[in-house]
Amino acid sequence: MPSEYEALVAALKLTDIPFAEYGWKTRPEGAYGVISLEGESGHLDGDGEKLDRAWEGSIDLFYPKLTDRGDLIEEVEETLAAICGNSWELNSTQYEDSTGLFHVEWVFEVMDTPEPEEAETTPGEGDQNAVSDAG
Amino acid sequence: MPYQMQVDGMAEISETLSKLEERAPAVAAKALYEGAGVMADAVNNAAGSIKTAPFKWASRRRGETRLPSPEEKAIVQQAAVGIAKFNKNGTEVDTSVGFRNAGYAELKGKTVPIPKIVNAINSGTSFMRKQPFVRQAARSGASKAIEAMKTAIEAEFEALTK
Repeated sequence: MPSEYEALVAALKLTDIPFAEYGWKTRPEGAYGVISLEGESGHLDGDGEKLDRAWEGSIDLFYPKLTDRGDLIEEVEETLAAICGNSWELNSTQYEDSTGLFHVEWVFEVMDTPEPEEAETTPGEGDQNAVSDAG
Repeated sequence: MPYQMQVDGMAEISETLSKLEERAPAVAAKALYEGAGVMADAVNNAAGSIKTAPFKWASRRRGETRLPSPEEKAIVQQAAVGIAKFNKNGTEVDTSVGFRNAGYAELKGKTVPIPKIVNAINSGTSFMRKQPFVRQAARSGASKAIEAMKTAIEAEFEALTK
């Protein structure tokens, strides 16, 4: 799982809205959200390896007609802006006739960049560099 | 010592280029048509991957959810993925591919707009888990569509320069 996605899930679970990954078996009363990761949307290759990967996913927010929608949308969008920067958009807003729920959908892209320290230097090389820097 | 440089065939090149400018919108439209066809095929293929379960009512009071029924999937698979009218503006051409004008279908004795069924599956509802097959198709089909458009443009360009 991309690290930014993990951060996004953790941040959304801290909000007042109940959030679940990939849907609810039994949906809660009132406003609730769903977050899902849908697949890889792009990658940057080098040396026969994937250096950078971008993943696409979506957030769905449902809230009943008469609730105080208050900061629900702002809360989600602020979380998205904090973690995904500008790589997200409000994809659609809908209204369900049969249930009286509003449905707002965001699509986001998150990165999964491997940690540079692990890949770049082995412990031996690190020591040599330290010596040469000191000299 | 001054050097002299001479290029032959400049007249032909400029003639071809001027022809190209004239033909550019037509070439772009032809390429776009090829690309849109590839995208429509990709959406059709992706519709085959929709997960289904035999229909049962999802109780609203108990907050149950359900999967699309096989009948709903069949409607989506049989629906024609449409290519919208090309929007031309100078050398720019754009279009959209989707179910917007797919029409209506019979479902449980009711006439339901096909876009509504597609939207419920693609975007999800409070009682149906989302299966974003259209976006998935757009993701996987984009590179193929670009390739198809490139091939179409190259073929047109070759025909023009002969």
